[in-house]
Amino acid sequence: MSNDSTLNQVSVLIVGAGPAGLSAAITLKKADPNVEVVVVDKAAGPGNHNLSGAVLEPGALHKLLDSAVPDWQESDQAKKVLVSKVEKDEVLFLPGKNLSFNIISMIKMAAKMKLGFGQMVHHGDYICSIAQLTSWLSDIAKGMGVEVVHGFAVEDIHYDAATGKATGVKLIDQGLDKHGEKQCNYVAGETIEADIIVIAEGCDGLLAEKFIDKAGLKRQAKQLYSVGVKEMIRVSDEQYAKFGDGHVVHAMGYPIWTPVIGPGMFGGGIMYAMGENRIAVGMIVGLDWHPCDFNPQDALTQFKGHAFVKQFIEGGEVIEAGAKMIPEGGFYAIPRDPATNAVGKSNVLLLGDSAGFVNMCKIKGLHNAIESGIAAGNAICQTLNNTSGTAEQYTTLLTEAGVFAEMETAKNFRQTVAKFGPLQGMPLSVLGKWLPQFDIESDWQELTTARYRLKPSVKFDKDTFTAVAATEHREEEPCHLIIQDETICVEKCLSKFGAPCITFCPAGVYEKIQDQPKAANPSNCLHCKTCQRKCPFDNIRWTVPEGAGGPRYKTM
Amino acid sequence: MSHYIVLVKQVPDVSQITDNAFDPETGNLIRTRLPSVINEHDAQALAFANQMRVLSGDKDTKLICLSMGPPMAEEVLRYSLARCADDVVLLTDRALGGADTVATANPLAYGVRKIVAEKFGGSSDYYIIAGMQSVDGDTAQVPAQLAEELKLPCIAYATEAEFINETFRFTRIISGGSQIVEAKKLPVVVTVAKYEFPVYPTFSRTRRANKSQVSQWTASDINAEYIGVKGSKTRVIRVFPPGKTTRKCQEITDVKELARILVEAASAEVKAQETEAEKKKHYLLPDDRPDKFDRSFEGLEKEAQDYKLLMDIFKEMGIQDLSQIDDAKKEQIVEKADGAYRVKALEDMLDGLKANTPTYSGEVWVCAEHDGTAPNSATFELLGKARDLADSLNVECGVVIAGENIQPMTKDLIAAGADKVYAIEHPLLKEFDPTAYRKAIATTIERHKPQIVLYGATPQGRVLAPMVSYRVQCGLTADCTGLAINDSSRKGQIACLFQTRPALGGNVMATICTKDSGCQMATARPGVMQALTKDYSRKGQIINEQVELTEEDVSLRIIKTEMGTGEVNFDAEVIISGGKGLQDRTNFENKIKSLMSAISGKTGAAVELGASRTAVEQGFAERIHQVGQTGTAVGPKLYVAMGISGAIQHMIGVANTEVIVAINTDPNAPIFKSADYYIIGDVNQIVPKLVQEIQAAE
Repeated sequence: MSNDSTLNQVSVLIVGAGPAGLSAAITLKKADPNVEVVVVDKAAGPGNHNLSGAVLEPGALHKLLDSAVPDWQESDQAKKVLVSKVEKDEVLFLPGKNLSFNIISMIKMAAKMKLGFGQMVHHGDYICSIAQLTSWLSDIAKGMGVEVVHGFAVEDIHYDAATGKATGVKLIDQGLDKHGEKQCNYVAGETIEADIIVIAEGCDGLLAEKFIDKAGLKRQAKQLYSVGVKEMIRVSDEQYAKFGDGHVVHAMGYPIWTPVIGPGMFGGGIMYAMGENRIAVGMIVGLDWHPCDFNPQDALTQFKGHAFVKQFIEGGEVIEAGAKMIPEGGFYAIPRDPATNAVGKSNVLLLGDSAGFVNMCKIKGLHNAIESGIAAGNAICQTLNNTSGTAEQYTTLLTEAGVFAEMETAKNFRQTVAKFGPLQGMPLSVLGKWLPQFDIESDWQELTTARYRLKPSVKFDKDTFTAVAATEHREEEPCHLIIQDETICVEKCLSKFGAPCITFCPAGVYEKIQDQPKAANPSNCLHCKTCQRKCPFDNIRWTVPEGAGGPRYKTM
Repeated sequence: MSHYIVLVKQVPDVSQITDNAFDPETGNLIRTRLPSVINEHDAQALAFANQMRVLSGDKDTKLICLSMGPPMAEEVLRYSLARCADDVVLLTDRALGGADTVATANPLAYGVRKIVAEKFGGSSDYYIIAGMQSVDGDTAQVPAQLAEELKLPCIAYATEAEFINETFRFTRIISGGSQIVEAKKLPVVVTVAKYEFPVYPTFSRTRRANKSQVSQWTASDINAEYIGVKGSKTRVIRVFPPGKTTRKCQEITDVKELARILVEAASAEVKAQETEAEKKKHYLLPDDRPDKFDRSFEGLEKEAQDYKLLMDIFKEMGIQDLSQIDDAKKEQIVEKADGAYRVKALEDMLDGLKANTPTYSGEVWVCAEHDGTAPNSATFELLGKARDLADSLNVECGVVIAGENIQPMTKDLIAAGADKVYAIEHPLLKEFDPTAYRKAIATTIERHKPQIVLYGATPQGRVLAPMVSYRVQCGLTADCTGLAINDSSRKGQIACLFQTRPALGGNVMATICTKDSGCQMATARPGVMQALTKDYSRKGQIINEQVELTEEDVSLRIIKTEMGTGEVNFDAEVIISGGKGLQDRTNFENKIKSLMSAISGKTGAAVELGASRTAVEQGFAERIHQVGQTGTAVGPKLYVAMGISGAIQHMIGVANTEVIVAINTDPNAPIFKSADYYIIGDVNQIVPKLVQEIQAAE
């Protein structure tokens, strides 16, 4: 057998084969074809852990591909992935379960006046599946000589405080049984050494948070989150024709926000035409919700039952589903090196959702993820001989690309809404960019004993939801969801809140077994990490399971 | 120093199958709609082989993976390289495509020969390890047929390997138990039934695998005998979606009524999987049909309709003899058929009408399986079917039985429908040894030339049938759920066995016919065919067969046989399953076992304990009892689910059950939508009452 040890050393290691990481790989490889670039991802295959709406602003993608792939617009994959452009852009306000008002003209007016929420205009954007987009980018990257390896879960980063540089990452140990004992097939997690490490794991990244901690990066404001639950529904020919290709709907109000009597949650519903008689229906809810018995899937059920939505999807079949968090803290929640203000430190960069580049006024982060990948790829190429300065150069290029400027227009948006509630907060958010930065509580601290008024009578069928998400883990591996102190669940949580994790986990991972809330079904986990951010006692930690576990999204 | 050759196959990921994965017109799977993955059983075989290498402590051995498939199948070889393979070979060539199991096993065997010659230096010290079957074909035939081509012993359904005194001992599954065996000499083919410790890829190996060149051998490199469509011994006639089982979803409120349902379901005769229509339509040979133009026994509905239309046109035109039809008449017929067929097709059909002689001749046989004292129930079921087929064909129905001291069993076989019993009595046939049995059965078949031979799709039948069929050079269809005599007149095929079986994990049904063979062979699932009531007044003939066997013909040394113990018998007629609703292990065992003993006590049915995944995760039962997509798929007569919510992943695993009964406290439990009968209530209160009512039931 040949010596494999050199294969555990790479020049540039990118953790996470999503849009951000792959954009970085493509840009770098284009700029310098001789650089060794390896992308590792925990999912079983390309796009398997990527979920979004998605409506994509074309700018960043064009910038990436125009330079890297000649005639990309003519390729079959481009035609397949970029389903269509938005032709009919509706923003609805739903006051109750039957009525709806189209407020797109108001949004368009806001856009003309350059008000924050005017950015909600989507006309001309691409409608696409991020899982397919990612899969395509993966093929492009591989074609250019980037190594994309799937099924490897990174557990930790080796950070040398003396030099301020990271030296590599550690993969997780595999082949342990439920009790953590070594099975006959046990293999210790390898260490991969790298000159430059790009962290592009997505929202609430395990490695990102560990690095932020170890390297002393700081956020000016806490990171805040939303969770999106989404179903891909196949509808009849008539229904789809009526809805129409190129049609996107964003809805506010019912069932998560109604005036005066509440509930007063942040977020909204979406409906996107995905071609082939498919409509993507989703519900995004800010994690700062109050009711302890709230489940975003219940809101999705009510949204699907709204007269406007129902007409298009009634009788349709849910062919795929999934859930994922969105980082919504915005500009002030971007982790930075206090010394240099860099998004990262020295030879480590934070990209995309790992950094929190979501513009909440647009409810979009995909374009910034790609933009950050382009910046990272160029910065790395420019600093290969001096990797101590990569993060700073990356941050400079991000500024030049206008990512921060765009983020600033939406700064305070989510915080304003969180602080003042949607009724006052939405209008106030217009002033958000002129307000000074202010901090609010973490999402998990917002839970109260209040009840969700619009709870559907039938329990949401989470089993089918996870089945169509095609999620799977080896069932004998140690549980990757850690309840830090089980006594808190019984003594404090159960009596007060009734263990909300059991209700809100979209995969039904948590269950009460003999009066003890437990992570009873870890193999159903969708890797959304909502539990880690919404447990009212901050008592759950999401750790990474064996590689290749988790959902297998195809068109989400 | 033993080497290893592991056979791996790329398959569509049937676990991710969706409705739109099938072409609505043809029923064919649209392969691009599903991701391609390594066959799960082969992944286990790879881990098994790797573990053997670890156990042997020998580091200088080679582990080589061999696959056959399109160029994209090199992905599964990279998968293997990333884990533990030292070298890989892909047989890929257009000429190899469209192959059945014979035309797959044959080139693979030639590939093995080439590997041994070129990479092992001709050494015979090696093992061939394969998954027990592929998840898309489910036939389990290729490894056994490969063994037969290479004249090697085959140890099927291994679950464990031990390394004792420098030799491997294998635990293998046999009907109703397990057995520890070792091969008398190497090489040997081992198929792996279940091995749950996957071998993990490493980062460095994965990178190296992605960079390495996979060696590809073409048809001319291996120069195999049977390849592609041409070398195949079977052909697929049609593919169609399986009939959807509709559940009754009836709520029961009275425990007494529930008790009655359970007893009735547990003691029901057999599952009637064949449709009534299939049973009623009793085949007649063309010469026995009242109307000589009658072609209502076509295997394809479309053909039958076309001929029906032709018959009507003949009547209208007053045609009584084919010689009356000249070119002008043909034009006329085509016109009347109104687009149903053109002249060329009509001429084919007219030629078909001339075909009246059955394509095959000889008796219809069943290969009996027994435990030394009595034939198993599958044998009697097959005999019921064979009797029916033989009557259709106007031939005799025979049974071939091999073993030691088998004479006492012959009268039961005659009573169950056999006209003739071919008894191969030999002390070396005392225990089932695939090589010795293959020789005994194949010799007898070659001597008497039956036209059909049926085997039970049991652990024994699924090894023996492929070896025998390969030896006598005829086609074999595995795991049939439907067997009927039909014609394919336009192809000149009269009175052929149309063999229908599920494929792709039960997601499609395929009808298959034998081709280029002297005999048609099939294995049939136990519990599908209907046994006849035994009639001991029936007369039959016992023919004692002499087959020369020596110790050399016995390939395996049997170390130990254990019946019933250790393994879970999911072939049981009744499975009582529990979920998390049963709260804890003690209660789980109490409730399930009391109901199990009540039902088996009352009906005598074999009863097994099952569990949902959550129940297993909570430690209520061992993993081996887990029913469902990631556990074992079962198909008993009666499945009782207590405190199980009915997640789709669980229900997929019980889809083939005859009667599903659910007990749950939650009135909205999804399981009620996929149960035949359900009762809303607490298991703790219902089960004790139910046990009483069952005992009191009539």
